[in-house]
Amino acid sequence: MKLNVELTPRSNIPTWMAYGTPVFTILAALIVSGFALFSLGVNPLAAYNIMFVQTLTTSFGITNTLVKAVPLIFAGLAVYLPLKARLWNIGAEGQLIIGAIVGTAVGLSVSLPIYALLPLMFVTGGIAGAMWIAVPAWLRARYGINEIITTLLFVFIAQSLLNYVVRGPLQAAESNFPQSASLPTAATLPSIPIIGFPSGVLLAIVLVAVTYAIINYTRLGYEITFMGANDNAAEHAGMSKLKIYLIALMAGGAMAGFAGISEISGVEGRLRASFDPGYGFTAVPIALLGRNGAFRVLLAALFFAVLFIGGSSIETSLGVPSAITNVMEALIILFLITAEFFKNYRVGLSLDQTPTPSAPGDPEGDV
Amino acid sequence: MSDDKFVRMENITKTFPGVVANDSVSMSVKKGEIHGLLGENGAGKSTLMKILYGLYSADEGDIWLDNNRLEMDSPQDAIDAGIGMVHQHFKLIPRLSVSKNIILGKREPIAAFKDNSGSESGVLHSLTSNNIVQGLASRFTLGLDTPEKQIQQLSDNYGFNIDVTVPVWELGVGERQRVEILKALYRDVDLLILDEPTAVLTPTQAERLFETLKTLTDEGLTVIIITHKLDEIKEVTDRVTVLRDGRDIGTVETSEQTSDDLARMMVGREVLFNVDKDDVSVGETVLNVSSLRTTNDRGIEAVSGVDMSIRSGEIVGLAGVSGNGQKELAESLVGVRETLGGSIEITGDDVTNESPNAFINNGVSFVPEDRHRDGCAGTLSIMHNAVMKRYADSEFSDGFKLNYEAMEEYADTLVEEFDVRGIKNVREINAGELSGGNLQKLILAREMLREPDLLVANQPTRGVDVGAIEFIRERLVAQRKSGTGVLLLSEDLDELFDLSDRILTIYQGEIVHETTPEEADRQRISLEMNGGKEEVKQPTQIAADGGRSGF
Amino acid sequence: MSGLVTGLANATVNASTVLILAGLGELISERSGVLNLGVEGMMLVGALSGFVVTSITGSPWLGLCIGILAGGAMALLHAFLCVSLNSDQAVSGIMLTLLGVGLTTYFGNPWTGDSVSGFSEVTLPIIGSFLVEIPIIGSALFNSTPTDYIALLLIPVVWLFLYKTNIGLEMISVGEDPETADTMGIDVFKMRYLAVIIGGLFAGAAGAHLSLAFNQIWSSGMTAGNGWIAVALVIFARWEPGRILVGAYLFGLLNAIQLYSQGLKFTLAPETALSGLLNPMIEFVMNPTIMSTYPYIVTLLVLVITVVRAENRQLAQPSALVQSYSREID
Repeated sequence: MKLNVELTPRSNIPTWMAYGTPVFTILAALIVSGFALFSLGVNPLAAYNIMFVQTLTTSFGITNTLVKAVPLIFAGLAVYLPLKARLWNIGAEGQLIIGAIVGTAVGLSVSLPIYALLPLMFVTGGIAGAMWIAVPAWLRARYGINEIITTLLFVFIAQSLLNYVVRGPLQAAESNFPQSASLPTAATLPSIPIIGFPSGVLLAIVLVAVTYAIINYTRLGYEITFMGANDNAAEHAGMSKLKIYLIALMAGGAMAGFAGISEISGVEGRLRASFDPGYGFTAVPIALLGRNGAFRVLLAALFFAVLFIGGSSIETSLGVPSAITNVMEALIILFLITAEFFKNYRVGLSLDQTPTPSAPGDPEGDV
Repeated sequence: MSDDKFVRMENITKTFPGVVANDSVSMSVKKGEIHGLLGENGAGKSTLMKILYGLYSADEGDIWLDNNRLEMDSPQDAIDAGIGMVHQHFKLIPRLSVSKNIILGKREPIAAFKDNSGSESGVLHSLTSNNIVQGLASRFTLGLDTPEKQIQQLSDNYGFNIDVTVPVWELGVGERQRVEILKALYRDVDLLILDEPTAVLTPTQAERLFETLKTLTDEGLTVIIITHKLDEIKEVTDRVTVLRDGRDIGTVETSEQTSDDLARMMVGREVLFNVDKDDVSVGETVLNVSSLRTTNDRGIEAVSGVDMSIRSGEIVGLAGVSGNGQKELAESLVGVRETLGGSIEITGDDVTNESPNAFINNGVSFVPEDRHRDGCAGTLSIMHNAVMKRYADSEFSDGFKLNYEAMEEYADTLVEEFDVRGIKNVREINAGELSGGNLQKLILAREMLREPDLLVANQPTRGVDVGAIEFIRERLVAQRKSGTGVLLLSEDLDELFDLSDRILTIYQGEIVHETTPEEADRQRISLEMNGGKEEVKQPTQIAADGGRSGF
Repeated sequence: MSGLVTGLANATVNASTVLILAGLGELISERSGVLNLGVEGMMLVGALSGFVVTSITGSPWLGLCIGILAGGAMALLHAFLCVSLNSDQAVSGIMLTLLGVGLTTYFGNPWTGDSVSGFSEVTLPIIGSFLVEIPIIGSALFNSTPTDYIALLLIPVVWLFLYKTNIGLEMISVGEDPETADTMGIDVFKMRYLAVIIGGLFAGAAGAHLSLAFNQIWSSGMTAGNGWIAVALVIFARWEPGRILVGAYLFGLLNAIQLYSQGLKFTLAPETALSGLLNPMIEFVMNPTIMSTYPYIVTLLVLVITVVRAENRQLAQPSALVQSYSREID
């Protein structure tokens, strides 16, 4: 007698699964994290109340959430776009940092009125981000070298560069601290008058819409999607793998660059050695949650923003280390990838007398 | 009665979804003989041997080896029973040495712990023969020295000329095959199965192989060799079993058959379909190929100097057994495979070694052999797949933007005209959800409605239901009428005879024969496809039942 | 000057142990075909659990054991996700790092900044007192904590394991060509599970070494990227145990130089040709922060060179690395 686990590949995913997955994974993550909270003597429901409900119902909470969401949206797009071509931009964090460095350098050294300086900072930050991913992109497109490892290595190089820059070329003249000078007002992202929301949100939403439009309405979007779905068939169709991989990755790099400069310009105000936001890594679960569309990426980014702000709240009010949000983040990814498995396979359990493997083999070819 | 039934496969039946691969096949092999297994592609040879080797399990039927009934669930069971197989695609790990590849999985401990039950006695022996100690030793030591010497000895005995200490990546193809044979010999097999062994060998290497096989059988080994090459059957086998369409046609003494006889046994099939073909006047040359040479994915030359031309309004059929270069030829004619030498001209333009895009823009359409891997993106919608080669056309794209309404309409047109069934909405259903026949019709629709100058169709009706087959064939003929030049690659000779205006035969990368359906001799083509030469017919002793009775 | 060299040697050897331990573990995992990007998380988990157990029980050896097991437990999850569920190996690994960072920061809060009496430096019995006298490297190599010695010992052990045992042979084959290994009767899943878990055990040991020997404190994120360097190290070492040692010392040296950067300033005299141009360049190249990028840059170069040169000859990496395997036959 043997317990047989039978896996049959699914030909299509039931609708409830396709739409319900993000919801289920988040719920599952919340439940498991609840245990962690409980173990510290905290009532999970009370904690979640502060984390989610309060954050979303106070104007303070909402504003902070939006501020947090801006770089997350950019970073999410930075991973989402290459993912459409089945490429993993794990190094978004590095491109983010480089974008921050270059954008800040421009903001500190160029004198222009705000309506010219800010765009210039963003453009240079974006280009810097794209340049930072260019080498890994080239290596992947031309030689097939795994972009996961190469982009990751570039993250660490970027972090060291940041350290160097704030202690050297960009270090504030009067100060002994490892940080740059403060960005002038002309280089700072303002808040939207009256409502008080960060203006970066507007740019982020615009970029989401632009990404959506590119993927769904343009030739390039079609090629990227097709290449990601089946690169063999795409090449048979005459599409250039080299061109598409380079474009997809470098566009992602630019987005990450935007994330970096928007954070410095809109929140930090200056470049510090301690600038280690981690948005580039959080971008991975954001992109996975929002896999099916740019607007879902937006929603996922907002969710994580709430998560992080809520995390700080419960740290202040309940003394719970905000690292619980990292745990939740990890759990969301964990349940997402497990769910991925169940989406692709139907699992059947049965008791078997004799384990006779049957052959769902492919009769085409040499029979 | 039992001396010639060392290996017996009785009434083996194996079905896959949609196809009966083996239909009550029986076959018996004498001890010490070299037994050939002959048949066209799709006849069921490979399936039958995979069952014998434990990779598949038969739905019905029994296997007997030396009068023992075998129950095999895995290749390991087959090895334990004394059956070894040399696959067409070698199962070797290049980084490891020959000897390591051969001992892999046997878990032999170092000599000190080897369970040599001899006259050993005493504390040391009882210590080392203890089960737990044996278990640990087999895992945590590596018994290489003794086996390596044994393997080298074995190799030298058979004249293999291999240094078993070198890593496999240093060896050439012929040597690697010998390593595969050594693998089986080292495991002391009684029966050795070889699957298309000369597919990757030069004639000289093939000769060496045959000598080796004869030496092995002289020493008592039994060999089954799967092949489609008639000259090999004639050269090296004692008897041969012929399969056709999943059934066994009979087993005959090789010496008593001519290649013609064997070809006839392989082929004799009724013509199932009759397609009306009008006379079409042939026009300009759409394809001109001269001295084309390409390599296959493994770097071995697959197309060795092909000349051919196709004109507008004709269907040129290419007959050949899979693995003789036709796939590589097709791929180079559509720009997906680089060429080593020679030239390709499409409607007069030289497109040799240009990108696939250039070929597409020059009016070349392609229906690939592997529709899921090369022909469509299964996770994308019908609509996406319908415009796969036309999305850049002004009809569908305006600058950067895509006109999805136009694309949807186009997809609907394709679906309707080519009777792709079961689609309510071209945007919602994914290509991967379609059945084989429907997907193929969609691909054909996409490739044909572009109004190409040249259409290359590689096995367009393979794995497709009967209704779709008929439809596809009619469409090919219709395309011909509208002026496209068609290159039809097919393993189905009936199909080629039905549809083609001219039939070329490819063997080992060269075009060996050209004829028309009216003049062609079905058996002659089969002969050429399998490398046989036309022989003078002699009166032969073939029983009316094809040689089945008599053992 | 000799004080500087001895100091550097000491710092190098000290910094290398973490890398040797984590690197060897990652090497084994990758040799079987599974990439483990969760090393950093597993190290943290090993560091915290080892620290806590030692704080409570007073026994660093018990702490080390628990730390090792903790790393292994995390790796079990990675193995399940990657080998059984065929999930994306990179995503699973990063998730585990996030999880490790999160969990240890969260649960390690009460112990932040605490110190523990862990392993102290000892010399080897009998021959130890002689070995220590060897100039320069003597005190660096032979006056070390137990985990330092264990790490050095593990290099030949891992080498023997991979190349001189049947299990090692099977593990390598599974990482090269799982289909062939399967045909030869090897249990691909079991081998990969084993390799990944061993990787986790080693990572746990590396982490425990940090909190019990190297630093003897706990603070969140104390692995400081060493886990990632270990991943880079395996590529640099081209998946050979012996080269892990070389790479660990090299990377450790780069690390150590940053500490001693003051004593290592190097400038060309003004009269030397092009000194005006070269001096700033030299200063840049020898800047300690810039030097911390060298392990990664070197690794990138090694990766590119091996892959680009590999083509059909010398095989660069385990051929089946990062490719999940599922039996498509039966």
